[in-house]
Amino acid sequence: MRTQDASNIRTLFGRIDRALRGPIVTALAYYAGAEAAFFVGTLSDKIFAPFWPPNVVLLCALLSAPPHRWWLFVAAAFPAHAIAEHGVGMPLSQSLVAFATNCMLALASAFVIRKTIGAPPWFRSLRNACVYVLLVAIAIPMVVALGGAFVAISGGAPMAEFWTFWSQWLMANALGGLTLGPVALIWLNERKMQTSKPIRVTAVLEAVFIAVALVAISTVAFEFSAATSARGFLPALLYAPLLFVLWATVRFGAAGAASMSLIMTVVLVWLTLTGPSLFLAENPESSVFAMQVFLLALSIPVLLLGAAIDEARHAEQEVRESEERMSFAAVSANVCMWRFDYDLDRAWITDHGRHMLGFAPEFEVTRTALTQAIHADDRGAALATVRSAIARGALADCEFRIVRRNDAQTRWFRCRARAYGERGSSGAHISGTFTDITEQKLAEIELAQQRQELAHLTRVSMLGELSGGIVHELAQPLASILSNAEAARILINKDVPDLHEVKDVLDDIIGEDNRAGEIIWRLRALLKKNETRFEPLNLNEIVNVTLRLLRNELISRRVRAVTTLAQDLPVVAGDPIQLQQVLLNLMLNAMDAMGDVAPEQRVIAIVTDANAAGVWVHVSDRGKGLQPAHQERVFQAFFTTKKQGLGLGLSLSLKIIKLHGGTIHLHNNPMVGVTAAFTLPRSNALLAAG
Amino acid sequence: MGFTAFLVDDDPGVLKALSRIVRTASYDCRAYVSAADFLRDHDPAVPGCAVLDLYMPEFDGLELQRRLATLGASRPIVFLSGAGDIPTSVRAMRAGAIDFLTKPINRDDLLAAIARAEQYDTIERHLQCERQSADNKLAELTPREREVMTHVVAGRLNKQIAASLGTVEKTIKVHRGRMMAKLGIRSVADLVRFAELAKVQPHH
Repeated sequence: MRTQDASNIRTLFGRIDRALRGPIVTALAYYAGAEAAFFVGTLSDKIFAPFWPPNVVLLCALLSAPPHRWWLFVAAAFPAHAIAEHGVGMPLSQSLVAFATNCMLALASAFVIRKTIGAPPWFRSLRNACVYVLLVAIAIPMVVALGGAFVAISGGAPMAEFWTFWSQWLMANALGGLTLGPVALIWLNERKMQTSKPIRVTAVLEAVFIAVALVAISTVAFEFSAATSARGFLPALLYAPLLFVLWATVRFGAAGAASMSLIMTVVLVWLTLTGPSLFLAENPESSVFAMQVFLLALSIPVLLLGAAIDEARHAEQEVRESEERMSFAAVSANVCMWRFDYDLDRAWITDHGRHMLGFAPEFEVTRTALTQAIHADDRGAALATVRSAIARGALADCEFRIVRRNDAQTRWFRCRARAYGERGSSGAHISGTFTDITEQKLAEIELAQQRQELAHLTRVSMLGELSGGIVHELAQPLASILSNAEAARILINKDVPDLHEVKDVLDDIIGEDNRAGEIIWRLRALLKKNETRFEPLNLNEIVNVTLRLLRNELISRRVRAVTTLAQDLPVVAGDPIQLQQVLLNLMLNAMDAMGDVAPEQRVIAIVTDANAAGVWVHVSDRGKGLQPAHQERVFQAFFTTKKQGLGLGLSLSLKIIKLHGGTIHLHNNPMVGVTAAFTLPRSNALLAAG
Repeated sequence: MGFTAFLVDDDPGVLKALSRIVRTASYDCRAYVSAADFLRDHDPAVPGCAVLDLYMPEFDGLELQRRLATLGASRPIVFLSGAGDIPTSVRAMRAGAIDFLTKPINRDDLLAAIARAEQYDTIERHLQCERQSADNKLAELTPREREVMTHVVAGRLNKQIAASLGTVEKTIKVHRGRMMAKLGIRSVADLVRFAELAKVQPHH
């Protein structure tokens, strides 16, 4: 418990400490600023300062803290203000009015900045700089100065000089806001952000040099102009420091502009108050006013210029970063960009593209170089696709192989391109991307091969199931041949051989052998690992061939097959072996479904017909039907309701039918059993799409 | 009358070849491509055997065998099959087939089976003939003579028979004599055999 309390107290102290740190620092800075301003002011026997830092200090403090803490800073500043003002002999009532107006200025400015610019960085954009200049440096001081003028009046000055006091108050605060303000705020922001950019030594040296040079030149120029009687040169001499101010602005943006303005202000104020003023007017107040106007006129445009430069540079930086990110992304994705200008007959490709195509860095990329990179077998088709898409004004999208120039490796590319501008007009070009899809393509090819293998293995396994029937079917012609041959032998051995009969026998033997050969040929076709080959075929034939294959299975399982085949069935394009496989699968499934059904009920119905969409085939059984839960899963691989079964038949059938551009589905019949149905598009439709 | 081999197989090629084989052995041959056709033409009077393929659409060889049995035709059957699985062959033999051959069928095996069938058929027919004639002869006996026969077959003496039938031995002797004459039998042993053939139960 004790340690808990101790840590609680520690945390509390820590929080108080952190909370008070800011206000205390602010109070100290406020005091220091006030003292500095008074010191400068006393140099000319006046108690008002041409340049009032404490308000800026308070503004910076308020902007660095959340609004609910602002009261703390104001409270901390009051003693500082009171002490400082008392130090120059200002009565308390006057000091209070002064403090009130100062606080109002700072609070109003902080509030406006939060509302309009929002969050730091304050001077990154031209808009922000304009808001600051107009509101914070001009409008708000103008308004608050109405109260500020009362400071002097409450000290006993005549009411008639209200506007004089007003303008003095305005200028002092405007100048502070325009010179010290931006510098302090930018410095504050940089500190807070802890910029990750390392500060270059050369940049620091440059800044210091400019500052020193500015001081020197300004001092020399103003002293010179004040000393000589060649007052005519004054305007020109006032432009002397401009070089350095602009240099700082261009190089360091708003920060540079504000810093140089500040330096100029300090130098001028010092010179004016310690020596003969170059802004000679009727009285010292007027000359100070003239100086203030000069400084304002210099600092405002320079600050705005600095902000604009900052904005542009930042935008440039963002663009550069964005380009870097894009480039990185492109390289990671193995994508490159290329462009070909028709009128200039010039081709361009990104560096990564050169790498992808195996071009040497110094190799000249021309249109020929690009087209020659395409594999000879794919070139014609690829170029034709691109040309036709361009002619239609559409996006060209094609895949082809390329041969790398450096190591002659073949890679698969995907090309997307678009044409811009009218052909023949200036600026007409075609640009696009290449994506290296070799890995995907190889995976695709391997997948297709594996699917082929799987289909083949399933076919073989299905035929294995039918092996009893196959054996039986071969036994018939063999039996005929044997008996015929034996008969022929007897016939020939007779005393008077009936040669006519023998010839008949031999004809029969040949016929039976051919019959056996056909069976074997059919089996061999199914057992081979075939590549998919589409040809025009009639589905009725496929149905009949499959039924012939299943003949013995049907007999041994006591199943009747009833066919209703449409006449003049339209031709479809397909691979006969694969479609036989599908029908075998469906029919075997139908037979399996009726294992428990009474023999008289065991009927498979096969129907073919055609409609506008295509040709369809139905295989119906009278088994116990599909459970609704299984209906969606029935085409999934390795799903089966049979005791022995891989569950691959239907999923393969689905793939085969999809490959043919068709659809397949199963549904329960209204009365009993299941119908498996598939459709294939008509041949001409498929050829047109292909 | 010659012996006929009735061939039934749904495969026309096989049917034709088997016919040739059968004809080389000088049997008569009738070929049917379906069991239904065979049944339609079937005439039990014609001596012969049936050579049936087991696996046929509509109804197969075993079914045909059953139907023939229900029809009372004792036609000997030889089964052929392209796929020779043991359970089927056992079933076929239990149902009373002469033999079970697998395709491709050896000529010698087939002809041997047919010869066996012919033998079986001949004996069976002969038996049938005798049974028929025995029935005929039995029909000619009067009830009394019939009665006496059952007692004689039971091994009774004339005296005992007379006693159980309530008549004299003399009457029994007369019936017995007439009965034996009508049946054309000399000895009691032959009478017993006759009774067996005619399925006459001895009196108990």
